[in-house]
Parts: sequence; C-alpha cells; structure tokens
Amino acid sequence: MNLQEIQSDNFLDARGLSCPMPLLKTKKTLKNMNSGEVLELWGTDPGTKNDLSDYCKRNNNEFLGYLDLEEGYTKFYIKVG
Amino acid sequence: MQKESGFLRQELGRGYGLVFQQAWPAWLSGIFLAILAVMLFMWWHAWGVAGGFANWGDWFYHLLGIYDSSPEKSIFLHGMSVSNIGLLVGAFASALLSRQFGVHRAPKFEYLKGLAGGALMGVGAALAAGCNVGGFYSALGMLDLGGFMMMLGLFAGAYLGLLYLLWEMENIGQGATGGQHVDKNKGTDWSKAFPYIGGFVFLLILTSFQAYSWLGHTKMGGVLFLGFLIGLVMHRGRFCFANAFREPFMTGDSTMMRGVIISLILYALGAAAMKWAYIQPPTAGIYHPFWIGSLGGGLIFGFGMLLAGGCGSGSLWRAGEGHLKLWLALAGFFLTNSPVSKFIDQSGLSEYLGQGIFIPNILTWQGGLILFILVLFGLFLLLRWNEETENFVAF
Repeated sequence: MNLQEIQSDNFLDARGLSCPMPLLKTKKTLKNMNSGEVLELWGTDPGTKNDLSDYCKRNNNEFLGYLDLEEGYTKFYIKVG
Repeated sequence: MQKESGFLRQELGRGYGLVFQQAWPAWLSGIFLAILAVMLFMWWHAWGVAGGFANWGDWFYHLLGIYDSSPEKSIFLHGMSVSNIGLLVGAFASALLSRQFGVHRAPKFEYLKGLAGGALMGVGAALAAGCNVGGFYSALGMLDLGGFMMMLGLFAGAYLGLLYLLWEMENIGQGATGGQHVDKNKGTDWSKAFPYIGGFVFLLILTSFQAYSWLGHTKMGGVLFLGFLIGLVMHRGRFCFANAFREPFMTGDSTMMRGVIISLILYALGAAAMKWAYIQPPTAGIYHPFWIGSLGGGLIFGFGMLLAGGCGSGSLWRAGEGHLKLWLALAGFFLTNSPVSKFIDQSGLSEYLGQGIFIPNILTWQGGLILFILVLFGLFLLLRWNEETENFVAF
C-alpha cells in the first residue's frame, strides 16, 4: 500500500511527546473512531514504532505502516479494526 | 582471499543488523540484564541507581555551599555513580549505533512533568532505600522481602499515575506540539556518522576501563564497563520498568513485566548461588525497609515515574538517547533524593520505615527460593489472565 496516498479520517499530533503519552492519546482517540477509519499520527519518540505495531496486533487494529519524514518526525497510519 | 573477506563483511553486517537494527524482545533484554546484574554482583556488589543520584546531589549541594562537608567519594569513584555514568554512555552509544539518537525536545508542560516526576522518584527512592533498580529489582535479586513490598507500591503508584495522565488529557489541553521537529536540511546531516561516533564511544569506554586500571581502580573500571553494557542492553530492548508496571493498567499488555519476571528469577538464582556458596556474604544487599518504607516509597516512586515517563534506569537510558525531558527527570531525582535521604538518616525516621528481611532466614534457602519463584509465577498468571480479560485496565 502506498502510504503517501492514504486519506486519513482523523489526525493526532504527538510530536515532542514521549512514552507513554503518544500511545495513551492514540488509544483514547481510536476509541471514538469507527471500524475501517484511518488515524494518522505524527510522532518523534523512537519507541512509538514498536509500541504502536504491538498495540495494534493485540487489539485487532491494522498497523498500516509509517513514513520517516525529512523534517525529523514520523507519520503513522492505523486502520481501526 | 577475496571470497573470505566478503564472507566476513557479510557476517559482520548481519551481526550489526541483528544487534542494532531490530529492537530486541523484552525477554531477551531481561535475560541479558540478569546476567549482567549477576556479574556486577560478583565483581562488586548489587546493582543500584539511586545511590549514584544521591552522590550527585550531595556534590551539587556541597558545591553550592549548602552542605558543609564534602561527599566521601568523587563521582568517578562512587560505585553507583560510576555504573550510572556507564549506563548513560552505553545507551548513548547504542542510540548512535542504531541511528535512534536525536535531541528530542518536548513541550514546556512536559519538562515540568519530567522535573516533578523526577523529584517524586527521588523522594520515593529515599524512603524505599533504592529506586526501581536498587529497591525493587536488586532487592528481589538479593531475596530481600522489601522488594515485594516495593513491587506492590510501584503497581499502586503506576495505577494512580495513569489515572492522573488520563485526567490531564481531559483537563489540561496541551494542544498541538508543532514546531518540535528538527530541520534536518540545515547544515551537515550528522546521522550518517552516528554509527561511527557510537563505535568511538565504545572505544572510549574501553580506554577508560584501562585508565582506571592504571590508576589502581580496576574494580571501578569494571563497574563502568558493566554499566555501559547494561545501558546498551536496556536501550536495545527499550527495557522499561515504568512500562512494565503501567501497561497492565493501560493496554493490558504485560510483555515487559514478563521480561522483568524472567530477569528476576535468573538474577535471584545467580545471586543465590553466589551467596549460598559464600562467594558473597548471604546478607549482602539486605537493607530494604520492610514494609512501610518499601511500600510507601514504591507508591510515590511509581507515581513519579509515570509523570516522568521513565524510572531510575529508564530515565538514564532515555537521557542517553537524547530526550531533554528525561534529563530534567534526572535533575529532579538527585535534587530531592540527596536531602531526603540525609533527613531520613539523621532524624531517626529510618527506624519507623522498617528493616531488611532476608527471605532464606525465615524460610531456609530451599523454601525461600521455591516460594520466591512461585510468587513470581503467580504474578505471571495474573498478568496473562489480565491480558485476556483486561480486568485491570483503567479505561
């Protein structure tokens, strides 16, 4: 899947936040989203990559992947299960 | 010949990728951590972190002129201070080698939380005679009953800390944190050189070990080196006690805590072998205040580590990775730990907090070890059950 073409339904900016805040905010946001919708998360904490993919595996959400940007942050995409 | 060198390069590349590109699973880090902790115990004494922070605080207040007397040991000869420095540098090297290093800035409110969380951890560690490492991990490795009390306190504190974070999300809007990103296009892109700088830092630590030896402090040189390896292992596995105590309440996941449990069982067995055979005295490392100090200290510490986003050891390795918030947590930690430890010593409060209880003294070696493993196995089952049912999950 080409991540650059994804249309996200919801967006969360967690840049500058470190563990556990990005995951905590993600969990809370996902709770209010419908199945099939896509959340786009911006983050800078290196731990988030593992945290998010593990979390999605456990909770039947689909971790679509991430893009490391030149500007120094990462965009993550999660599809609600 | 060319074929061989090609093979060597390929194997080295594969090894490098295995160690520094993929994150290690928690259980693997836990096993390595236990081996290093046992080695440290054999070489010197039980691993601790808070004592090193107390030493830094003592120096800080002494240099400001607030404490009259100078601390007994310099930061380069105080064992726990030396292993802390090793841990920080080890995580720094590991972050460089895995290209994860970066100066991570945070919103102002997060800095405040780092400082406050660190300050609470300093108070908690003073009460419990150790942080998550000395008061919990090593206390249990040494078979000191206080370690179990601190564990209960840490769970309770982490739960309360999580409730606070949830409340904060609802009530204190931090807004978007935009503008935090680093503009990599400015100037030279250093990240390509990171693995080489990491390798250089490793050589620097080896040289320092040798320098300690020349100066007649081989033991401290080894402590520095083992601390360095601990920092590397913790960073590669993102081995985090705050995560271990928090996740069962936050997502229900207990991967990290199960890594801690494996680590604890190995550590305790290794240390028991050394104590039972009198390689080290049986009561080495038995001084944790059962039960008030350990429980109360664990509670305050647990709350603090949720605010800071890292425990004693976790703050060190995250600081090494470049998180400015965790540098403030370290500062908060030593600013409170030093005076509160002094106060507890001098006021006679320590008598009320409790005393160290060596589990084999009550239950014999055999009984003590069996019960120790059974309790941890019970915790393992409880956590697995919680993973399935999410009964303890706060929201």
